[in-house]
Amino acid sequence: MSRLGDIPIRIESMESPVPDRPDGGLGGAIDAVLSEIASLLERLAKNDEHSMIDLRSLPLSQADRAALQSALGDGEVHATLQAVGRSTARETRFAGVWWLEHRDPAGDLVAELLEVARFPQILASAPDEIADAAKALRSHRRLQ
Amino acid sequence: MSASGPGLTVGEMLRKHGVSRRGFIKYCTATASALALPPWMGAAMAEQLRNAPRPSVVYLSFQECTGCFEAFTRSFSPTIEHLMFDIISLDYDDTLMAASGTAAESALASVMKEHFGRYVLIVDGSIPTGASGAYCTSGGRSAEVILREAAKGAAVILAVGTCSAFGGIPFADPNPTGAWPVSAIVGDRPIINVSGCPPIPEVITGTLLQYVTTGSLPDLDENRRPRAFYGNSIHDRCYRRPFYDEGKFAKTFDDEGARNGWCLYELGCKGPTTYNACATVKWNGGTSFPIESGHGCIGCSEPGFWDKGSFYTAQAAADFTKSGETRPLEVLEFAGATLTVGAVLGAGSAGVGRLRQHRSELDEVAQNDKGTP
Repeated sequence: MSRLGDIPIRIESMESPVPDRPDGGLGGAIDAVLSEIASLLERLAKNDEHSMIDLRSLPLSQADRAALQSALGDGEVHATLQAVGRSTARETRFAGVWWLEHRDPAGDLVAELLEVARFPQILASAPDEIADAAKALRSHRRLQ
Repeated sequence: MSASGPGLTVGEMLRKHGVSRRGFIKYCTATASALALPPWMGAAMAEQLRNAPRPSVVYLSFQECTGCFEAFTRSFSPTIEHLMFDIISLDYDDTLMAASGTAAESALASVMKEHFGRYVLIVDGSIPTGASGAYCTSGGRSAEVILREAAKGAAVILAVGTCSAFGGIPFADPNPTGAWPVSAIVGDRPIINVSGCPPIPEVITGTLLQYVTTGSLPDLDENRRPRAFYGNSIHDRCYRRPFYDEGKFAKTFDDEGARNGWCLYELGCKGPTTYNACATVKWNGGTSFPIESGHGCIGCSEPGFWDKGSFYTAQAAADFTKSGETRPLEVLEFAGATLTVGAVLGAGSAGVGRLRQHRSELDEVAQNDKGTP
């Protein structure tokens, strides 16, 4: 071994904090997450209560994550945002359950959440920005 | 050093820099996720901060190695740049600021006068009181004098790093400079200890962000550390914990147990008695932490960590009797700081207890040189 390149390097994945289940089946964590989502949806339906689950805080394996995505499926809406990096908000096949991914300008995943709401908070335009936009449009030379 | 004129709210500052509300919500959401805060905190933090005034921050460095400041500037989320330019107004920091000499001292005096009662004071390093404070001076004034003066108008003090929070290495036996933590000098201002050697960068910026967001002190433990980051022991959140429970321990750093990633307790890991967020927030943007790299925790965020014996001796096997470390903690009685220091250092710290063996020596030094803090 005479060169740096000769040193064997093993890179452990940061995406899988717990090992995959040998049987490839659903772990208990997925059942718990689905049950939690069902409770949150009931609260949304009854009280219009908005809530979130931080997926990165859960000990999900790659298989668990894939199983959760498969269980929730794809819905009708898929929004893409360009705000300090790319973000996506995808409604699952369960109305009111949104899968959000936030990436930084370099494309690295910085947050991954499930949002249970009529629509994700981040999509709404802000009142102060709307007011600024109105002023900007009024000052547009074509309107003067 | 202020990034903008005074009076702008965080939201106004962000809009001025072209950062949209969506961008800021996303940033706060990522920050809350990185800090293991509840996910709703992200949006709440964004809304609160947008309407909050940018607080003036004064950063003072005393008897320290600048490792804490190095950590502060290496926070991934939030970054120091984002904090400085959008959320806080870092008005004095002698390491970063371009001004020096009289201009720098005037800037400090001006900030303390203009924002009296409202600024956040960050202190890193211990405060040496020996030799009339000559071990650490700036502008001809001792660290103790500067701290006392700056503390008067501070809304809150963040004691960043173990030296500032608990005395750290300078405070360790034999403490030749008569060093003390901030809490031994300042008894009448709210203090948040952000310990660690150095503290985790995101814990420093996260604690600051939490205070700016809520405008109040976070829930603190008995050592005045934010429970959000210091509420669990390293051991309780360690990914090697299952091996401890199974009785699988590495006996040397190159045996089969070490290669298999077994528990490092018998190699001196202080995880069971150390409270910090290393196992959850981790370091270098969540890449790893010492135990994940194969070395046991040295307990750097605990009071008296430097005097607790070898880093490589298992806690259960340590022979403390030789050095008298099993002596109970004596209450510090000097100069009215009894309650302050007692509360900060906490009861039952064997390391600090051992340090107290040198109380008479320290008292003698203090009396000969200057007096007590």
